[in-house]
Amino acid sequence: MTGRGASLESLRQRIEPPCAALDFHTHPLADFGPCPVSTPAEDAGLLAAAARRAGISRMVVFSLHHTCARQPDMAQIREANDYALRLRDAQPEVFVPFCYVSPCFPQEGAQEVERCIGRERMAGVKLWVARRASDTALDPIMLQAERWGVPVLQHAWNKTVGQLANESYPDDVADLANRFPRVRIVMAHLNGVNPRGVETVRSCPNVWIDTSGGDPQAGIVAYAVERLGSGRILFGSDAPLRHPAVMLSKALAAGLERQGLRDVLWSNAARLLPDWSGVAALDEAGSRRPANPPAREGRIDQG
Amino acid sequence: MEIVDVNAWTGHWGTYTVPGTVDAVRRQLLDVGVTRICLAPLEAVWAHNPHHRNTTVYQAAARFADITPVPVLDPTIASWPEELHRARQAGVRLVKLVPAYSRYDLGTAEPLLDALEEACLTVLVQLRLEDPRCHHPMACVEDFPAADVARMAQRRPRLTVIIGGATTANLVALKAPLRDLPSLYADISQADGMDAVRRLVDAGLHTRLLFGTHAPLFEPLAGLARVLPELDDQTAAAVLGRNASAVLDRNGGDGAGRR
Repeated sequence: MTGRGASLESLRQRIEPPCAALDFHTHPLADFGPCPVSTPAEDAGLLAAAARRAGISRMVVFSLHHTCARQPDMAQIREANDYALRLRDAQPEVFVPFCYVSPCFPQEGAQEVERCIGRERMAGVKLWVARRASDTALDPIMLQAERWGVPVLQHAWNKTVGQLANESYPDDVADLANRFPRVRIVMAHLNGVNPRGVETVRSCPNVWIDTSGGDPQAGIVAYAVERLGSGRILFGSDAPLRHPAVMLSKALAAGLERQGLRDVLWSNAARLLPDWSGVAALDEAGSRRPANPPAREGRIDQG
Repeated sequence: MEIVDVNAWTGHWGTYTVPGTVDAVRRQLLDVGVTRICLAPLEAVWAHNPHHRNTTVYQAAARFADITPVPVLDPTIASWPEELHRARQAGVRLVKLVPAYSRYDLGTAEPLLDALEEACLTVLVQLRLEDPRCHHPMACVEDFPAADVARMAQRRPRLTVIIGGATTANLVALKAPLRDLPSLYADISQADGMDAVRRLVDAGLHTRLLFGTHAPLFEPLAGLARVLPELDDQTAAAVLGRNASAVLDRNGGDGAGRR
Protein backbone atom coordinates (compact mmCIF):
# COMPACT_ATOMS: atom_id res chain seq x y z
CA MET A 1 0.00 0.00 0.00
CA THR A 2 1.39 3.36 -0.96
CA GLY A 3 -0.43 5.04 1.91
CA ARG A 4 -0.68 8.64 2.92
CA GLY A 5 1.63 11.23 1.64
CA ALA A 6 2.98 9.22 -1.30
CA SER A 7 5.45 11.14 -3.40
CA LEU A 8 4.69 11.96 -6.98
CA GLU A 9 7.73 9.96 -7.96
CA SER A 10 6.40 6.82 -6.27
CA LEU A 11 3.00 7.36 -7.85
CA ARG A 12 4.55 7.76 -11.28
CA GLN A 13 6.21 4.39 -10.75
CA ARG A 14 2.84 2.84 -9.94
CA ILE A 15 1.53 3.47 -13.44
CA GLU A 16 4.63 2.17 -15.22
CA PRO A 17 4.38 -1.34 -16.67
CA PRO A 18 6.77 -3.86 -15.05
CA CYS A 19 7.86 -5.19 -18.44
CA ALA A 20 7.94 -4.00 -22.02
CA ALA A 21 4.48 -3.20 -23.34
CA LEU A 22 3.08 -3.39 -26.86
CA ASP A 23 -0.17 -1.62 -27.68
CA PHE A 24 -2.06 -3.79 -30.15
CA HIS A 25 -4.67 -1.21 -31.20
CA THR A 26 -3.87 2.36 -32.21
CA HIS A 27 -4.82 4.81 -34.93
CA PRO A 28 -2.99 7.76 -36.42
CA LEU A 29 -3.85 11.19 -35.11
CA ALA A 30 -4.86 12.03 -38.67
CA ASP A 31 -7.85 9.69 -38.20
CA PHE A 32 -9.00 10.37 -34.65
CA GLY A 33 -6.53 12.75 -33.08
CA PRO A 34 -7.29 15.65 -30.80
CA CYS A 35 -5.20 18.04 -32.86
CA PRO A 36 -4.39 18.47 -36.55
CA VAL A 37 -1.15 17.04 -37.87
CA SER A 38 0.58 18.12 -41.02
CA THR A 39 2.77 15.14 -41.85
CA PRO A 40 2.98 11.42 -41.09
CA ALA A 41 6.29 12.07 -39.35
CA GLU A 42 4.67 14.57 -37.01
CA ASP A 43 1.82 12.14 -36.43
CA ALA A 44 4.26 9.34 -35.64
CA GLY A 45 6.20 11.58 -33.29
CA LEU A 46 3.18 12.65 -31.26
CA LEU A 47 1.70 9.18 -31.05
CA ALA A 48 5.00 7.57 -30.10
CA ALA A 49 5.71 10.24 -27.50
CA ALA A 50 2.33 9.65 -25.85
CA ALA A 51 3.02 5.95 -25.79
CA ARG A 52 6.49 6.48 -24.35
CA ARG A 53 5.07 8.61 -21.54
CA ALA A 54 2.82 5.68 -20.70
CA GLY A 55 5.70 3.17 -20.79
CA ILE A 56 4.69 1.60 -24.11
CA SER A 57 7.46 0.83 -26.57
CA ARG A 58 5.74 -0.74 -29.60
CA MET A 59 2.39 -0.02 -31.24
CA VAL A 60 0.30 -1.79 -33.81
CA VAL A 61 -1.13 0.99 -35.94
CA PHE A 62 -3.66 1.09 -38.76
CA SER A 63 -5.27 3.95 -40.55
CA LEU A 64 -8.98 3.99 -41.37
CA HIS A 65 -8.26 6.92 -43.70
CA HIS A 66 -8.43 10.47 -42.43
CA THR A 67 -12.09 10.69 -43.48
CA CYS A 68 -12.94 7.58 -41.42
CA ALA A 69 -15.43 6.68 -44.14
CA ARG A 70 -17.28 3.58 -43.06
CA GLN A 71 -17.52 2.41 -46.67
CA PRO A 72 -14.17 3.53 -48.05
CA ASP A 73 -13.33 3.07 -51.70
CA MET A 74 -10.15 1.33 -52.77
CA ALA A 75 -8.30 4.59 -53.36
CA GLN A 76 -9.00 5.64 -49.78
CA ILE A 77 -7.94 2.24 -48.49
CA ARG A 78 -4.63 2.40 -50.36
CA GLU A 79 -4.08 5.95 -49.14
CA ALA A 80 -4.78 4.83 -45.58
CA ASN A 81 -2.32 1.98 -45.82
CA ASP A 82 0.32 4.20 -47.38
CA TYR A 83 -0.12 6.54 -44.42
CA ALA A 84 0.43 3.71 -41.94
CA LEU A 85 3.58 2.77 -43.84
CA ARG A 86 4.84 6.34 -43.55
CA LEU A 87 4.36 6.12 -39.79
CA ARG A 88 6.53 3.04 -39.75
CA ASP A 89 9.09 4.71 -41.97
CA ALA A 90 9.24 7.58 -39.48
CA GLN A 91 9.71 5.39 -36.41
CA PRO A 92 10.34 1.78 -37.42
CA GLU A 93 11.43 0.86 -33.91
CA VAL A 94 7.94 1.77 -32.62
CA PHE A 95 5.24 1.11 -35.21
CA VAL A 96 3.95 -2.23 -36.46
CA PRO A 97 1.52 -1.37 -39.27
CA PHE A 98 -1.55 -3.43 -40.17
CA CYS A 99 -3.22 -3.47 -43.56
CA TYR A 100 -6.75 -2.02 -43.60
CA VAL A 101 -9.10 -3.57 -46.13
CA SER A 102 -12.79 -3.59 -46.94
CA PRO A 103 -14.73 -6.73 -47.81
CA CYS A 104 -16.81 -4.57 -50.14
CA PHE A 105 -13.93 -5.14 -52.55
CA PRO A 106 -13.01 -8.76 -51.87
CA GLN A 107 -10.61 -9.33 -54.73
CA GLU A 108 -9.04 -5.87 -54.65
CA GLY A 109 -8.82 -6.25 -50.91
CA ALA A 110 -6.96 -9.49 -51.28
CA GLN A 111 -4.60 -7.76 -53.70
CA GLU A 112 -4.10 -4.97 -51.18
CA VAL A 113 -3.16 -7.56 -48.57
CA GLU A 114 -0.68 -8.96 -51.07
CA ARG A 115 0.80 -5.48 -51.60
CA CYS A 116 0.91 -4.46 -47.96
CA ILE A 117 1.95 -7.70 -46.37
CA GLY A 118 3.72 -9.47 -49.21
CA ARG A 119 5.71 -6.49 -50.41
CA GLU A 120 5.59 -3.87 -47.68
CA ARG A 121 5.67 -6.30 -44.79
CA MET A 122 2.85 -5.01 -42.75
CA ALA A 123 2.17 -7.45 -39.94
CA GLY A 124 -1.58 -8.04 -39.90
CA VAL A 125 -5.00 -7.22 -41.34
CA LYS A 126 -7.51 -4.76 -39.91
CA LEU A 127 -11.25 -5.04 -40.62
CA TRP A 128 -13.73 -2.39 -39.49
CA VAL A 129 -17.42 -1.91 -40.30
CA ALA A 130 -17.76 -2.18 -44.07
CA ARG A 131 -19.24 -5.68 -43.64
CA ARG A 132 -20.08 -7.82 -40.65
CA ALA A 133 -17.56 -10.53 -39.92
CA SER A 134 -20.13 -13.21 -40.67
CA ASP A 135 -20.36 -11.99 -44.28
CA THR A 136 -18.65 -14.36 -46.69
CA ALA A 137 -17.35 -11.35 -48.61
CA LEU A 138 -14.53 -11.45 -46.06
CA ASP A 139 -13.37 -14.85 -47.28
CA PRO A 140 -10.82 -13.83 -49.97
CA ILE A 141 -9.19 -11.50 -47.44
CA MET A 142 -9.16 -14.18 -44.77
CA LEU A 143 -7.57 -16.61 -47.20
CA GLN A 144 -4.79 -14.10 -47.74
CA ALA A 145 -4.33 -13.70 -44.00
CA GLU A 146 -4.12 -17.46 -43.70
CA ARG A 147 -1.63 -17.63 -46.54
CA TRP A 148 0.67 -15.07 -44.94
CA GLY A 149 0.13 -16.30 -41.39
CA VAL A 150 -0.78 -12.89 -40.02
CA PRO A 151 -3.40 -12.01 -37.42
CA VAL A 152 -6.67 -10.31 -38.30
CA LEU A 153 -7.92 -7.56 -36.00
CA GLN A 154 -11.71 -7.42 -36.29
CA HIS A 155 -13.65 -4.47 -34.86
CA ALA A 156 -16.57 -5.61 -32.71
CA TRP A 157 -19.01 -4.08 -30.26
CA ASN A 158 -22.21 -4.91 -28.50
CA LYS A 159 -23.79 -1.49 -28.16
CA THR A 160 -26.86 -0.77 -26.11
CA VAL A 161 -27.46 2.36 -28.16
CA GLY A 162 -27.51 0.43 -31.44
CA GLN A 163 -24.75 -0.73 -33.76
CA LEU A 164 -23.35 1.14 -36.69
CA ALA A 165 -24.49 -0.27 -40.00
CA ASN A 166 -22.60 -3.51 -40.63
CA GLU A 167 -20.84 -3.34 -37.27
CA SER A 168 -19.91 -6.80 -36.04
CA TYR A 169 -21.21 -8.37 -32.88
CA PRO A 170 -19.13 -10.97 -31.07
CA ASP A 171 -21.35 -13.62 -32.67
CA ASP A 172 -20.14 -12.47 -36.08
CA VAL A 173 -16.54 -12.84 -34.94
CA ALA A 174 -17.20 -16.34 -33.65
CA ASP A 175 -18.73 -17.21 -37.01
CA LEU A 176 -15.62 -15.89 -38.78
CA ALA A 177 -13.37 -17.85 -36.45
CA ASN A 178 -15.26 -21.04 -37.13
CA ARG A 179 -15.04 -20.49 -40.89
CA PHE A 180 -11.28 -19.90 -40.69
CA PRO A 181 -9.95 -21.94 -37.77
CA ARG A 182 -6.34 -21.52 -38.92
CA VAL A 183 -6.48 -17.72 -38.91
CA ARG A 184 -5.70 -16.02 -35.62
CA ILE A 185 -8.33 -13.38 -35.00
CA VAL A 186 -8.16 -10.58 -32.45
CA MET A 187 -11.60 -9.28 -31.49
CA ALA A 188 -11.29 -5.61 -30.58
CA HIS A 189 -12.73 -3.74 -27.59
CA LEU A 190 -13.05 -5.86 -24.48
CA ASN A 191 -15.34 -3.32 -22.81
CA GLY A 192 -17.40 -2.98 -25.93
CA VAL A 193 -18.08 -6.67 -26.36
CA ASN A 194 -18.54 -6.96 -22.56
CA PRO A 195 -18.71 -10.24 -20.65
CA ARG A 196 -21.32 -11.59 -23.05
CA GLY A 197 -18.86 -11.26 -25.89
CA VAL A 198 -16.13 -12.94 -23.89
CA GLU A 199 -18.39 -15.95 -23.45
CA THR A 200 -19.34 -15.91 -27.13
CA VAL A 201 -15.76 -16.48 -28.30
CA ARG A 202 -14.62 -18.60 -25.39
CA SER A 203 -15.02 -21.78 -27.40
CA CYS A 204 -13.07 -20.35 -30.35
CA PRO A 205 -9.39 -21.07 -29.64
CA ASN A 206 -8.30 -18.92 -32.57
CA VAL A 207 -9.85 -15.75 -31.10
CA TRP A 208 -7.98 -13.35 -28.83
CA ILE A 209 -9.49 -10.17 -27.35
CA ASP A 210 -7.80 -6.79 -27.07
CA THR A 211 -8.47 -4.57 -24.08
CA SER A 212 -8.81 -1.42 -26.14
CA GLY A 213 -11.43 1.23 -25.88
CA GLY A 214 -14.09 1.83 -23.30
CA ASP A 215 -13.65 3.14 -19.82
CA PRO A 216 -11.23 1.69 -17.27
CA GLN A 217 -14.02 -0.46 -15.90
CA ALA A 218 -13.06 -2.21 -12.69
CA GLY A 219 -12.43 -5.92 -13.03
CA ILE A 220 -13.02 -6.23 -16.77
CA VAL A 221 -9.51 -7.47 -17.63
CA ALA A 222 -9.45 -9.82 -14.64
CA TYR A 223 -12.77 -11.24 -15.81
CA ALA A 224 -11.51 -11.84 -19.34
CA VAL A 225 -8.33 -13.48 -18.11
CA GLU A 226 -10.30 -15.68 -15.76
CA ARG A 227 -12.58 -16.85 -18.56
CA LEU A 228 -10.10 -17.14 -21.46
CA GLY A 229 -6.71 -17.33 -19.78
CA SER A 230 -3.97 -14.75 -19.97
CA GLY A 231 -2.78 -16.29 -23.24
CA ARG A 232 -5.78 -14.90 -25.13
CA ILE A 233 -5.91 -11.31 -23.91
CA LEU A 234 -3.88 -8.52 -25.52
CA PHE A 235 -3.31 -5.01 -24.27
CA GLY A 236 -4.65 -2.40 -26.67
CA SER A 237 -5.58 1.23 -26.08
CA ASP A 238 -7.47 2.60 -29.09
CA ALA A 239 -5.28 5.71 -28.84
CA PRO A 240 -5.62 8.52 -29.65
CA LEU A 241 -9.34 8.07 -28.94
CA ARG A 242 -8.31 6.79 -25.53
CA HIS A 243 -5.39 7.61 -23.30
CA PRO A 244 -2.73 4.89 -23.55
CA ALA A 245 -1.79 5.07 -19.86
CA VAL A 246 -5.42 4.96 -18.73
CA MET A 247 -6.05 1.90 -20.86
CA LEU A 248 -2.81 0.33 -19.67
CA SER A 249 -3.94 0.78 -16.08
CA LYS A 250 -6.84 -1.60 -16.73
CA ALA A 251 -4.29 -4.38 -17.16
CA LEU A 252 -1.91 -3.19 -14.45
CA ALA A 253 -4.74 -3.10 -11.90
CA ALA A 254 -6.13 -6.51 -12.83
CA GLY A 255 -4.14 -8.36 -10.18
CA LEU A 256 -2.47 -10.65 -12.70
CA GLU A 257 0.51 -12.81 -11.85
CA ARG A 258 3.84 -11.80 -13.36
CA GLN A 259 3.60 -14.21 -16.29
CA GLY A 260 -0.01 -13.32 -16.95
CA LEU A 261 0.77 -9.64 -17.13
CA ARG A 262 3.73 -10.29 -19.45
CA ASP A 263 1.40 -12.31 -21.67
CA VAL A 264 -1.13 -9.49 -21.88
CA LEU A 265 1.34 -6.64 -22.30
CA TRP A 266 3.73 -8.24 -24.74
CA SER A 267 4.16 -12.00 -25.13
CA ASN A 268 0.81 -12.78 -26.74
CA ALA A 269 1.45 -10.10 -29.33
CA ALA A 270 4.95 -11.44 -29.94
CA ARG A 271 3.48 -14.88 -30.55
CA LEU A 272 0.77 -13.59 -32.90
CA LEU A 273 2.85 -11.23 -35.01
CA PRO A 274 5.03 -12.53 -37.83
CA ASP A 275 8.78 -12.61 -37.44
CA TRP A 276 9.27 -9.74 -39.83
CA SER A 277 7.42 -7.41 -37.47
CA GLY A 278 10.54 -7.27 -35.33
CA VAL A 279 8.56 -8.00 -32.15
CA ALA A 280 10.64 -10.57 -30.34
CA ALA A 281 9.95 -12.47 -27.12
CA LEU A 282 10.83 -10.85 -23.83
CA ASP A 283 13.92 -11.85 -21.95
CA GLU A 284 13.71 -13.07 -18.36
CA ALA A 285 13.83 -9.55 -16.98
CA GLY A 286 10.88 -8.50 -19.09
CA SER A 287 12.92 -6.41 -21.50
CA ARG A 288 12.73 -6.57 -25.23
CA ARG A 289 15.24 -8.82 -26.92
CA PRO A 290 17.11 -7.15 -29.75
CA ALA A 291 15.29 -7.77 -32.97
CA ASN A 292 16.14 -7.00 -36.53
CA PRO A 293 14.21 -4.01 -37.77
CA PRO A 294 11.66 -4.92 -40.40
CA ALA A 295 13.15 -5.16 -43.86
CA ARG A 296 11.11 -4.32 -46.89
CA GLU A 297 12.77 -6.66 -49.34
CA GLY A 298 13.74 -10.32 -49.38
CA ARG A 299 12.15 -13.61 -48.62
CA ILE A 300 9.37 -13.79 -46.09
CA ASP A 301 8.66 -16.83 -44.04
CA GLN A 302 4.96 -17.28 -44.63
CA GLY A 303 4.51 -19.35 -41.48
CA MET B 1 1.44 14.87 -1.18
CA GLU B 2 -2.27 15.54 -0.79
CA ILE B 3 -4.55 13.71 -3.20
CA VAL B 4 -8.27 14.41 -3.03
CA ASP B 5 -10.69 12.16 -4.87
CA VAL B 6 -13.79 14.29 -5.37
CA ASN B 7 -15.76 11.59 -7.12
CA ALA B 8 -15.70 8.22 -5.37
CA TRP B 9 -18.66 5.98 -4.57
CA THR B 10 -19.50 3.11 -2.31
CA GLY B 11 -22.06 0.42 -2.92
CA HIS B 12 -23.34 -2.19 -5.31
CA TRP B 13 -23.73 -1.85 -9.07
CA GLY B 14 -26.16 -3.99 -11.00
CA THR B 15 -24.48 -4.71 -14.32
CA TYR B 16 -21.07 -5.79 -13.09
CA THR B 17 -19.42 -6.66 -9.83
CA VAL B 18 -17.51 -3.86 -8.18
CA PRO B 19 -15.41 -3.90 -5.00
CA GLY B 20 -17.78 -1.39 -3.51
CA THR B 21 -17.79 -1.80 0.25
CA VAL B 22 -16.52 1.19 2.16
CA ASP B 23 -13.47 -0.76 3.27
CA ALA B 24 -12.69 -2.03 -0.22
CA VAL B 25 -13.05 1.37 -1.85
CA ARG B 26 -10.98 3.04 0.83
CA ARG B 27 -8.27 0.38 0.62
CA GLN B 28 -8.02 0.75 -3.17
CA LEU B 29 -7.87 4.53 -3.01
CA LEU B 30 -5.29 4.66 -0.24
CA ASP B 31 -3.26 2.22 -2.29
CA VAL B 32 -2.96 4.76 -5.10
CA GLY B 33 -2.06 7.55 -2.71
CA VAL B 34 -5.45 9.22 -2.16
CA THR B 35 -5.48 11.05 1.16
CA ARG B 36 -9.05 12.38 1.18
CA ILE B 37 -11.99 10.46 -0.25
CA CYS B 38 -15.21 12.28 -1.13
CA LEU B 39 -17.56 9.33 -0.91
CA ALA B 40 -21.10 9.19 -2.27
CA PRO B 41 -23.59 6.31 -2.07
CA LEU B 42 -23.72 4.45 -5.37
CA GLU B 43 -27.00 2.77 -4.57
CA ALA B 44 -28.67 6.18 -4.31
CA VAL B 45 -28.52 6.35 -8.07
CA TRP B 46 -31.17 3.66 -8.50
CA ALA B 47 -33.11 4.20 -5.28
CA HIS B 48 -36.66 5.52 -5.28
CA ASN B 49 -35.54 7.72 -2.43
CA PRO B 50 -31.80 8.33 -2.77
CA HIS B 51 -31.72 9.97 0.63
CA HIS B 52 -32.15 6.63 2.36
CA ARG B 53 -28.74 5.57 1.08
CA ASN B 54 -26.83 8.53 2.49
CA THR B 55 -26.52 6.96 5.92
CA THR B 56 -23.80 4.72 4.51
CA VAL B 57 -21.44 7.59 3.83
CA TYR B 58 -22.13 9.30 7.16
CA GLN B 59 -21.27 6.07 8.92
CA ALA B 60 -18.14 5.68 6.79
CA ALA B 61 -17.01 9.19 7.64
CA ALA B 62 -17.52 8.45 11.33
CA ARG B 63 -15.18 5.48 11.03
CA PHE B 64 -12.45 7.01 8.90
CA ALA B 65 -11.02 10.50 9.09
CA ASP B 66 -9.96 10.36 5.44
CA ILE B 67 -13.54 9.97 4.21
CA THR B 68 -15.60 13.08 3.47
CA PRO B 69 -19.31 12.24 3.16
CA VAL B 70 -21.02 13.35 -0.02
CA PRO B 71 -24.75 12.77 0.27
CA VAL B 72 -26.88 12.56 -2.85
CA LEU B 73 -29.74 15.05 -2.71
CA ASP B 74 -32.80 14.78 -4.90
CA PRO B 75 -35.04 17.82 -5.31
CA THR B 76 -37.92 15.64 -6.52
CA ILE B 77 -38.17 14.01 -3.11
CA ALA B 78 -40.53 16.20 -1.12
CA SER B 79 -38.52 15.84 2.06
CA TRP B 80 -35.27 17.14 0.58
CA PRO B 81 -35.12 20.03 3.10
CA GLU B 82 -34.88 17.46 5.89
CA GLU B 83 -32.06 15.67 4.10
CA LEU B 84 -30.27 18.95 3.56
CA HIS B 85 -30.69 19.70 7.24
CA ARG B 86 -29.12 16.32 8.07
CA ALA B 87 -26.22 17.15 5.75
CA ARG B 88 -25.66 20.50 7.42
CA GLN B 89 -25.83 18.94 10.86
CA ALA B 90 -23.15 16.48 9.73
CA GLY B 91 -20.86 19.27 8.59
CA VAL B 92 -21.06 18.27 4.94
CA ARG B 93 -19.17 20.51 2.48
CA LEU B 94 -20.07 18.81 -0.81
CA VAL B 95 -23.35 17.31 -2.04
CA LYS B 96 -24.04 15.43 -5.22
CA LEU B 97 -26.95 15.63 -7.67
CA VAL B 98 -27.62 12.86 -10.17
CA PRO B 99 -30.38 14.36 -12.30
CA ALA B 100 -30.08 11.92 -15.19
CA TYR B 101 -31.11 9.01 -12.99
CA SER B 102 -33.89 10.82 -11.13
CA ARG B 103 -35.21 12.46 -14.31
CA TYR B 104 -35.27 16.11 -13.41
CA ASP B 105 -33.79 19.23 -14.93
CA LEU B 106 -31.95 21.89 -13.03
CA GLY B 107 -34.96 24.17 -13.18
CA THR B 108 -36.72 21.69 -10.93
CA ALA B 109 -33.75 21.90 -8.61
CA GLU B 110 -33.90 25.69 -8.19
CA PRO B 111 -35.23 25.66 -4.59
CA LEU B 112 -32.58 23.14 -3.58
CA LEU B 113 -29.88 25.13 -5.35
CA ASP B 114 -31.06 28.26 -3.53
CA ALA B 115 -30.70 26.42 -0.25
CA LEU B 116 -27.25 25.08 -1.13
CA GLU B 117 -26.13 28.56 -2.07
CA GLU B 118 -27.48 29.93 1.17
CA ALA B 119 -25.66 27.21 3.11
CA CYS B 120 -22.38 27.79 1.22
CA LEU B 121 -22.29 24.14 0.17
CA THR B 122 -20.56 22.97 -2.99
CA VAL B 123 -22.60 20.91 -5.44
CA LEU B 124 -21.31 18.27 -7.85
CA VAL B 125 -23.68 17.49 -10.71
CA GLN B 126 -22.97 14.04 -12.11
CA LEU B 127 -23.44 13.80 -15.88
CA ARG B 128 -22.96 10.07 -16.34
CA LEU B 129 -22.21 6.89 -14.49
CA GLU B 130 -21.45 4.63 -17.45
CA ASP B 131 -20.71 5.03 -21.12
CA PRO B 132 -24.24 4.86 -22.61
CA ARG B 133 -23.05 2.32 -25.16
CA CYS B 134 -22.36 -0.07 -22.31
CA HIS B 135 -25.56 0.29 -20.33
CA HIS B 136 -27.72 -2.68 -19.60
CA PRO B 137 -30.23 -2.73 -22.47
CA MET B 138 -33.14 -2.44 -20.05
CA ALA B 139 -31.55 0.35 -18.01
CA CYS B 140 -30.42 3.03 -20.44
CA VAL B 141 -29.92 6.52 -19.05
CA GLU B 142 -28.86 9.39 -21.26
CA ASP B 143 -26.05 11.64 -20.13
CA PHE B 144 -27.15 14.83 -18.42
CA PRO B 145 -26.25 17.84 -20.60
CA ALA B 146 -23.00 19.43 -19.45
CA ALA B 147 -24.07 22.78 -20.87
CA ASP B 148 -27.06 22.86 -18.50
CA VAL B 149 -24.69 22.68 -15.55
CA ALA B 150 -22.52 25.47 -16.93
CA ARG B 151 -25.57 27.66 -17.53
CA MET B 152 -26.75 27.04 -13.98
CA ALA B 153 -23.30 28.01 -12.67
CA GLN B 154 -23.39 31.19 -14.74
CA ARG B 155 -26.72 32.13 -13.19
CA ARG B 156 -25.43 31.39 -9.68
CA PRO B 157 -21.94 32.82 -9.24
CA ARG B 158 -22.18 32.44 -5.45
CA LEU B 159 -22.69 28.68 -5.68
CA THR B 160 -19.60 26.53 -6.17
CA VAL B 161 -20.38 23.96 -8.84
CA ILE B 162 -18.44 20.89 -9.94
CA ILE B 163 -19.26 19.19 -13.23
CA GLY B 164 -18.91 15.48 -12.48
CA GLY B 165 -18.23 12.69 -14.95
CA ALA B 166 -17.82 14.92 -17.98
CA THR B 167 -16.17 13.59 -21.11
CA THR B 168 -13.22 15.39 -22.63
CA ALA B 169 -15.49 16.63 -25.41
CA ASN B 170 -17.82 18.13 -22.78
CA LEU B 171 -14.95 19.89 -21.07
CA VAL B 172 -13.40 21.19 -24.26
CA ALA B 173 -16.81 22.61 -25.23
CA LEU B 174 -17.09 24.31 -21.82
CA LYS B 175 -13.57 25.60 -21.52
CA ALA B 176 -14.68 29.24 -21.72
CA PRO B 177 -17.09 29.14 -18.76
CA LEU B 178 -14.71 26.88 -16.86
CA ARG B 179 -11.91 29.38 -17.36
CA ASP B 180 -14.01 32.47 -16.72
CA LEU B 181 -16.31 31.48 -13.85
CA PRO B 182 -14.39 31.35 -10.56
CA SER B 183 -17.09 29.14 -9.04
CA LEU B 184 -17.13 26.43 -11.72
CA TYR B 185 -14.91 23.32 -11.60
CA ALA B 186 -14.78 19.97 -13.34
CA ASP B 187 -13.88 16.53 -12.13
CA ILE B 188 -11.70 14.63 -14.60
CA SER B 189 -12.69 11.08 -13.73
CA GLN B 190 -14.11 10.49 -17.22
CA ALA B 191 -11.89 12.79 -19.27
CA ASP B 192 -10.26 10.32 -21.60
CA GLY B 193 -8.31 10.51 -24.84
CA MET B 194 -4.67 11.02 -25.65
CA ASP B 195 -3.21 14.05 -23.87
CA ALA B 196 -6.69 15.01 -22.66
CA VAL B 197 -5.76 16.49 -19.29
CA ARG B 198 -2.73 18.25 -20.69
CA ARG B 199 -4.85 19.86 -23.39
CA LEU B 200 -7.32 21.04 -20.77
CA VAL B 201 -4.48 22.48 -18.72
CA ASP B 202 -3.06 24.13 -21.82
CA ALA B 203 -6.49 25.71 -22.32
CA GLY B 204 -5.99 27.55 -19.05
CA LEU B 205 -7.98 25.21 -16.80
CA HIS B 206 -5.22 24.14 -14.44
CA THR B 207 -6.99 25.68 -11.44
CA ARG B 208 -10.41 24.35 -12.46
CA LEU B 209 -9.71 20.64 -12.77
CA LEU B 210 -10.28 18.30 -9.84
CA PHE B 211 -9.03 14.75 -9.52
CA GLY B 212 -11.67 12.04 -9.37
CA THR B 213 -11.46 8.29 -9.80
CA HIS B 214 -15.09 7.17 -10.21
CA ALA B 215 -14.11 4.21 -8.04
CA PRO B 216 -15.27 1.52 -7.59
CA LEU B 217 -16.79 1.57 -11.09
CA PHE B 218 -13.40 2.47 -12.55
CA GLU B 219 -9.95 1.25 -11.60
CA PRO B 220 -8.49 3.92 -9.29
CA LEU B 221 -5.09 3.56 -10.94
CA ALA B 222 -6.63 4.91 -14.13
CA GLY B 223 -7.28 8.19 -12.36
CA LEU B 224 -3.61 8.66 -11.72
CA ALA B 225 -2.81 7.58 -15.26
CA ARG B 226 -4.88 10.45 -16.65
CA VAL B 227 -2.75 12.97 -14.81
CA LEU B 228 0.78 11.87 -14.11
CA PRO B 229 2.13 11.18 -17.61
CA GLU B 230 0.83 14.53 -18.81
CA LEU B 231 1.65 17.12 -16.18
CA ASP B 232 4.68 18.53 -14.41
CA ASP B 233 4.87 18.05 -10.65
CA GLN B 234 3.51 21.47 -9.77
CA THR B 235 0.46 21.25 -12.02
CA ALA B 236 -0.13 17.62 -11.09
CA ALA B 237 -0.16 18.57 -7.41
CA ALA B 238 -2.78 21.23 -8.09
CA VAL B 239 -5.04 18.91 -10.06
CA LEU B 240 -4.59 15.95 -7.74
CA GLY B 241 -5.29 17.78 -4.52
CA ARG B 242 -4.63 21.45 -4.07
CA ASN B 243 -7.53 22.67 -6.21
CA ALA B 244 -10.01 20.39 -4.45
CA SER B 245 -8.78 21.31 -0.99
CA ALA B 246 -9.30 24.95 -1.80
CA VAL B 247 -12.87 24.20 -2.85
CA LEU B 248 -13.78 21.91 0.03
CA ASP B 249 -12.22 23.95 2.78
CA ARG B 250 -13.34 27.38 1.62
CA ASN B 251 -15.99 29.49 3.36
CA GLY B 252 -14.35 28.93 6.71
CA GLY B 253 -14.39 25.19 6.24
CA ASP B 254 -12.02 23.51 8.61
CA GLY B 255 -12.47 19.99 7.39
CA ALA B 256 -15.40 19.37 9.70
CA GLY B 257 -17.18 17.70 6.84
CA ARG B 258 -14.59 15.01 6.87
CA ARG B 259 -16.23 13.57 9.95
